[in-house]
Amino acid sequence: MCVAMPGRVVKVDGTKAEVDFSGNLVRAEAGLVKIKPGDYVLVHAGCILQVMSEEDSNNLMDLFKEIESL
Amino acid sequence: MTEYQAYLKNYDGEPVRLMEVCGTHTAEISHSGIASVLSPNIRLISGPGCPVCVTVTSYIDRLVALSLEPNHVVVSFGDLLRVKGSSQSLNDAKALGGQVRMVYSPMDVLKLADAEPEQIFVFAAVGFETTTPVYALLLEEAQKTGIQNIRLLTSLKTMPPVIDWVCANQGGIDGFLAPGHVSVITGSSMFEPLAQTYSIPFAVSGFEPQQILLSIYALVRRRGKGDVMNLYPSAVTAEGNKAAQRVVNQYFESCDAAWRGMGVIAESGMCLRAEYAEFDAGSMNLTDDRSANPNCRCAKVLTGAISPHECPLFGSQCTPQIPQGACMVSTEGSCYQYYVNHRK
Amino acid sequence: MKITMAHGSGGKATSELISDIFSKSFSNPILARMEDSAVVPGAQTIAMTTDSFVVTPVFFPGGDIGRLSVCGTVNDLLMSGAQPKYLTCGFIIEEGAESADLERIADSMAKTAKEAGVCIVAGDTKVIEGKGGVYINTSGVGFVPQGRNISASNCETGDAVLLSGFLGEHHAAVLSTRIGIQNQIESDCAPLNEMVCALFQNGIRVKALRDVTRGGLATVLNEFAAASSCCIELNEQDIPVSEPVKAFCGILGLDPLYMGNEGKFVAVVAKEDAQKAAEVMRAAKYGANTSVIGSVVPGEVGTLLVKTPIGGTRIVPELYGEGLPRIC
Repeated sequence: MCVAMPGRVVKVDGTKAEVDFSGNLVRAEAGLVKIKPGDYVLVHAGCILQVMSEEDSNNLMDLFKEIESL
Repeated sequence: MTEYQAYLKNYDGEPVRLMEVCGTHTAEISHSGIASVLSPNIRLISGPGCPVCVTVTSYIDRLVALSLEPNHVVVSFGDLLRVKGSSQSLNDAKALGGQVRMVYSPMDVLKLADAEPEQIFVFAAVGFETTTPVYALLLEEAQKTGIQNIRLLTSLKTMPPVIDWVCANQGGIDGFLAPGHVSVITGSSMFEPLAQTYSIPFAVSGFEPQQILLSIYALVRRRGKGDVMNLYPSAVTAEGNKAAQRVVNQYFESCDAAWRGMGVIAESGMCLRAEYAEFDAGSMNLTDDRSANPNCRCAKVLTGAISPHECPLFGSQCTPQIPQGACMVSTEGSCYQYYVNHRK
Repeated sequence: MKITMAHGSGGKATSELISDIFSKSFSNPILARMEDSAVVPGAQTIAMTTDSFVVTPVFFPGGDIGRLSVCGTVNDLLMSGAQPKYLTCGFIIEEGAESADLERIADSMAKTAKEAGVCIVAGDTKVIEGKGGVYINTSGVGFVPQGRNISASNCETGDAVLLSGFLGEHHAAVLSTRIGIQNQIESDCAPLNEMVCALFQNGIRVKALRDVTRGGLATVLNEFAAASSCCIELNEQDIPVSEPVKAFCGILGLDPLYMGNEGKFVAVVAKEDAQKAAEVMRAAKYGANTSVIGSVVPGEVGTLLVKTPIGGTRIVPELYGEGLPRIC
């Protein structure tokens, strides 16, 4: 129910930001998270919800090993 | 093929029933053909995670009525436009001359309202915890800029009470694929009380097919244990987005809410606080839920009690072209998915 | 029953409107075939078609309603195996439209007609009350060489399915303008003569052709599967979609398989000719991203299947409703 996509912050303008998604520039609300240009952020319905960490923390094999160790 | 994919394909243990409670997960599962790479002993059930599907008919009726009132414009996401209330949808209202506009973001309504101050713009504010913060920001901005012709008709819901309802009233679920983007806002720890109470595992999952497969694997492996596993750590933390939670609590408070086919579930919704009543388009007491067709079994399908095939209308009187209930209207509804994918 | 926007989207509602009202009134065996053009007997076999253009805004990145109106009709003729020759055009102009805009549109039509090798030989103009909108109808005539038989009902097991390039560009370009998302996506609006002629000139055994307009690739291939009583299977990884369009779809919850294009077509050809067909199409101006996307397989008749990157399979129906952006 939550179509959201990660994009790259291009510009910050007070509580608004311009986020780039592979060549699509969207003006999004930035009031909920501290961001700076270059950040990789999750955007839902025109609002930035989270800064995504860049290191491959979603590395599936690492997560798999964690599950196995439970 | 990864180790966990192979495991899931070849699994021949006790039958497992897993429920996803996020419409976007439902869509991705269908899109990637995930059911077709799982052992038949692993059944995926779509739960009440699509805000469009669980919206009661009287809410739609009110929107339809508002769109037909002079100087009122109903603004909505695309998802809601086809859903019928007790007889009509917003698309039907548009064909009758009602004012209905579609936007990508609730924030877009600010520009619309500013450009046409003589009209009242009513936003069809549906959603779960992921979207509620955006409505809060909208009101914050409206107050800051002094825009007075915006209203919300709310049908905002929260996840834990309905998951609790399913576990308490239905049971038969061995694991939950927890909504990834809801968890970004609320934090994964929100599911711990439920996991512990019912000893059912929750896997907070991202939306890539591999992430979903890994989450399904985790749920099968941890069956019977009340674990909450965060398998989407790049976006989800245990505590969630505090700033978002704060702004939501400023404008909204918990209230009882009506769920299509399930009746009223206590404290399962979010409503505007009394001090912001000026922004409300009459959201209270919209609990009446009357499907145009009395034989519609959406309620039971939505909670996973029956499969779409067990509804007497499925495929005959109810198809995507002539949907009788929300499960068939929404592209994430179980009935729609079963129908177009010829699922058994 | 009131007509809603869904009736115009090119999907199921549109086909039902046509069959319930128009086909019923106009019924005849040529119309009943429901191909892109009506192929009729005569001293030479003639193909005729008509199309109306109502896009807003009338000027969009990569094109305009004028270019669209020529390409749309030319391409429909090409899809029936005809050599397009003559077009008519009728304008319905709402009071308030700018004459400078009409000049731009007419100029664009002239340039496009030249590129497509057709003559606009007749026309009509009407002005009505309104807010400055412009609507164009074009009808076209072409000639089908002796012995050529291109039809949606010709597909056979083993045949290869080719797509001439990136999906969704036109739809994304127009929607971006309306919804305020900035990008460099441009409409792919183009006449397909060069590619289609190259297929025939190189002796490719072409079974069916269809341009991928409203309703998208999914709708077109479902039509083929139904008309030919066959099953078509695609490999998702081989379906060309550009990164910006993929991201655009991700933001709005759209599916490229259901988006409209104005310069793309699918060709179903004999298996042995697939590689050569792809080569000749790639050599043409608008075919650089041609891809063999799938084939006709044994399976449930009338069905379109897609093999997903994780090795799963999903059934892809024709478009229901309007294909609106989702948040869910």
